[in-house]
Amino acid sequence: MALLVAENLSVGYQTQNGYLRAVEGVSFSLDAGKSLGFVGESGCGKTTLGMAVMRLMPSNGLIREGRILFDGEDLLKKTDEEMRQIRWQEIAMIFQAAMNALNPVHRVIDQITEAIHTHTPSHNKDEAYEQVRALFKFVGLPEDRMRDYPHQYSGGMKQRAIIAMALACKPKLIIADEPTTALDVIVQDQILEETKSLQREFGVSIIYISHDISVVADICHDIGVMYAGQLVEYGAREEVFDNPVHPYTKALLSSYPTLTGEKSKLMPIPGEAPNLINPPFGCRFSDRCTEARVSCRSNPPMWLEITPTHKVLCHQCRKHCGE
Amino acid sequence: MTTVTTDTELSKRFHWISRLLEGWSIYKKSFLGKIGLTLLAVFALMALCSSIPPLIDPMYQPMAGVDPEIFTATGPSTRHWLGTDFMGRDILSQLLTGARIAFMVGVSAAFMSVFLGTTIGMIAGYTGKFMDTFLMRLADMIMVMPALLVLLMLAALFGQLSIWFIVFFIALFRWPGVSRVIRAQTLSLKHRPFIEAARVAGASNLRIIFRHIMPNVLPLSFLYMTFQVTSAIIIEAALAFLGFGDPGTVSWGMMLQWVWKTGHMFKAPYWLLPPGICISLITLSFYMLGRAMDEVLDPRLRKEVETD
Amino acid sequence: MSRMVDPNLTPEDAALLIKEFGLDQPLWMQYLYYLKNFFTGHFGFSFHYGQPVVQIIGDRLPNTILLFTTSIILSALVGIFLGKIASWHKGEKTDTYLTLGALITHTAFLPWLALIMIWVFAYKLGWFPITGMISVEIWLDPKAGLWIKALDVLYHMTLPLTTLFLIHFGSYLLIMRSSMLDTLKEDYILTGRAKGLPEKVIRDHHAAPNAALPVVTSVGLSLAFSINGGALTETVFTWPGIGRELVFSVSHNDYPLAQASFLLIAIVVLLSNLVVDILYAYLDPRIRY
Repeated sequence: MALLVAENLSVGYQTQNGYLRAVEGVSFSLDAGKSLGFVGESGCGKTTLGMAVMRLMPSNGLIREGRILFDGEDLLKKTDEEMRQIRWQEIAMIFQAAMNALNPVHRVIDQITEAIHTHTPSHNKDEAYEQVRALFKFVGLPEDRMRDYPHQYSGGMKQRAIIAMALACKPKLIIADEPTTALDVIVQDQILEETKSLQREFGVSIIYISHDISVVADICHDIGVMYAGQLVEYGAREEVFDNPVHPYTKALLSSYPTLTGEKSKLMPIPGEAPNLINPPFGCRFSDRCTEARVSCRSNPPMWLEITPTHKVLCHQCRKHCGE
Repeated sequence: MTTVTTDTELSKRFHWISRLLEGWSIYKKSFLGKIGLTLLAVFALMALCSSIPPLIDPMYQPMAGVDPEIFTATGPSTRHWLGTDFMGRDILSQLLTGARIAFMVGVSAAFMSVFLGTTIGMIAGYTGKFMDTFLMRLADMIMVMPALLVLLMLAALFGQLSIWFIVFFIALFRWPGVSRVIRAQTLSLKHRPFIEAARVAGASNLRIIFRHIMPNVLPLSFLYMTFQVTSAIIIEAALAFLGFGDPGTVSWGMMLQWVWKTGHMFKAPYWLLPPGICISLITLSFYMLGRAMDEVLDPRLRKEVETD
Repeated sequence: MSRMVDPNLTPEDAALLIKEFGLDQPLWMQYLYYLKNFFTGHFGFSFHYGQPVVQIIGDRLPNTILLFTTSIILSALVGIFLGKIASWHKGEKTDTYLTLGALITHTAFLPWLALIMIWVFAYKLGWFPITGMISVEIWLDPKAGLWIKALDVLYHMTLPLTTLFLIHFGSYLLIMRSSMLDTLKEDYILTGRAKGLPEKVIRDHHAAPNAALPVVTSVGLSLAFSINGGALTETVFTWPGIGRELVFSVSHNDYPLAQASFLLIAIVVLLSNLVVDILYAYLDPRIRY
């Protein structure tokens, strides 16, 4: 039973220069207890997607069309008050660059218990305290640091505190937006391991947003590759990572060095991402695509199914169908 | 050789003009800025008008002299549009002269304090170490002192103060505020590549400061000048109000002193209200000017002028 | 040093005085005497009052502190509160009115505003007394209790307090408003929204405490300006404080009194700065720990 289903979601921002189409026609589905990763370069719309699910768009943001079904209910039809209750209790978020996500003038424990009290006011102080203690233990933070202020924490500690806070109300879904980008690799690895065990123990669904496909492939069951606001390839981890079909996915994978296998040349992707205020009519990747034909530029691509769980948005990938 | 220098000079001047026009178009959009500028224009007009002699009587000198027909405070009339003060002097002409004094005091004091503050700020920021610490400690000490009261003490020591003395001392008290901001800006510019390049090319410290840092810091200085003008005008007005201004100049503060001290403050609203309104309005208009200029300068502060 | 002698005395008396105070001694000796006197609290005699200066300024100091501290605290608190509201309704009528009101009151000329206040509320309407801090009858009455005396002071304090308040709250409002607008862009505010906190909690519990910090700094920075205003207010309202004493003594060439008043004011400013610094450290945990 799918926990979260997005149907043809289009989100954008009203800017001085026009309407910027940040997310266009994205559909995906996430089952309970599974994790889905979104990969793409900066500006491809993955963060906007995460914010749209939580309905945390800024004042110039607009969800133009589509549906977001959470537990069968359309989130876009909810009132502000209903959304406020869903937030954190059902869906929590871990933000990009979480260095400043904690209020500097309040103690860490107070900020976590605040979330608990807001959604479950029946909990008294001691129960909340116990909960926080358990959370700290789980994310590997020392108990005696609970009453500290955020500036007394290191970067890794802050990230763990944020994760603990996200788990405080035992949500069904956590959206993690580049949670480890600002951390060094060792801490990054630890956090990733903890995220995996988090899913095993709590059974929480995760949407993991990152520009790093290797990280996403490590912990996610399904992967969605985004480019210029569109989903260009979507499928199970093994399929997308081991058998990439879309030229962009292939290019993405080859721009990362690997420890094993033959030594191959790193291939950066030439060109720049298209302007999302006036995106090209045809395939948005066609300018930078090595396999592009004339028809790619003039016709918008359609979804092609490679396997029941692997689909790709491309004209040229017809040859891979049936493989 | 000479042609090359002339070309670069011209292109630099042209660059400045185009930036000025750009700034003006942004300024025009600001509601506050337009009102501020209008008000200032009114005051400037007043100041200019104060030089025009009255046409009532060739013997009549509205300031020092007395209207031969009136020698008490009277209300507004066709002869004296704002009435007369307790000695029969025309209030409107006093007001106009006050505008002139206000501009004079404000602009001179502001200019001096900004000049001092910018120079000291640049030197402190660029030189660093001992000089920096020393100058900033000095600035701190001066900032803590209430300017008005120190001037009061000086009045006690030296007797009557002349207007230029007042202007000079106001500048002496206001430069720390400017220097702090300029110093901060200098610090952020100090490590930019074009400064490094100039240093490597062998430019002396002085040259770097005045040739490279100053153009980038100047817009900020101008912005602060508007705030300095208001505080200078207020300090002078307060000093005059208390009776320690230059007795030879008729500033708005002086006018208020006369109303107060001669006990007319309850009896003559036409005398009490105009000077105070003028001081408050000119302060308001300079403030609006400053706010609008802030909008113009903010994004441009990040752009650098790479000369040479 | 001849300034230490009241110019109104006859030459013989002046000569006597000079001998008495050792003013005919060499300059460096006089300076040493001066230092000794300074640290032992001998500030000389006021020419005008004929009393020891210490006594006079000791009398006046509490009055100034009362008026000064109350006005600063009041204008800071109200400024912060209104600035918060203005920022929350940015662009709407409430914001426009508040900002405009702050701008207009802040740029008004203090002595003139004081005169207007007296003219309207004391003279024309007769609601408040025109001068002074106390009604002498009440204080001379042996039966009058502490409450009555306190209320009397409050009654006299209303107009000067209001004047000082009007002049100062504007700047705090404007600073708080822009500080709030900056703070609302911070990441932790987004976290608060994501946590599902009500808007009011985000505004008052998360944004405002952070936004108020620059206002506290600004109070400290503008203390010199506030003291100027305090002295002017005291003079116009004839509130018997040190500021007024300073102005008074300078215009009467009462040099010892002027000097002592000035020194005391300088000390008050420095101490106030210290208090503000300590307050800031208390409010911002990043400094405390």
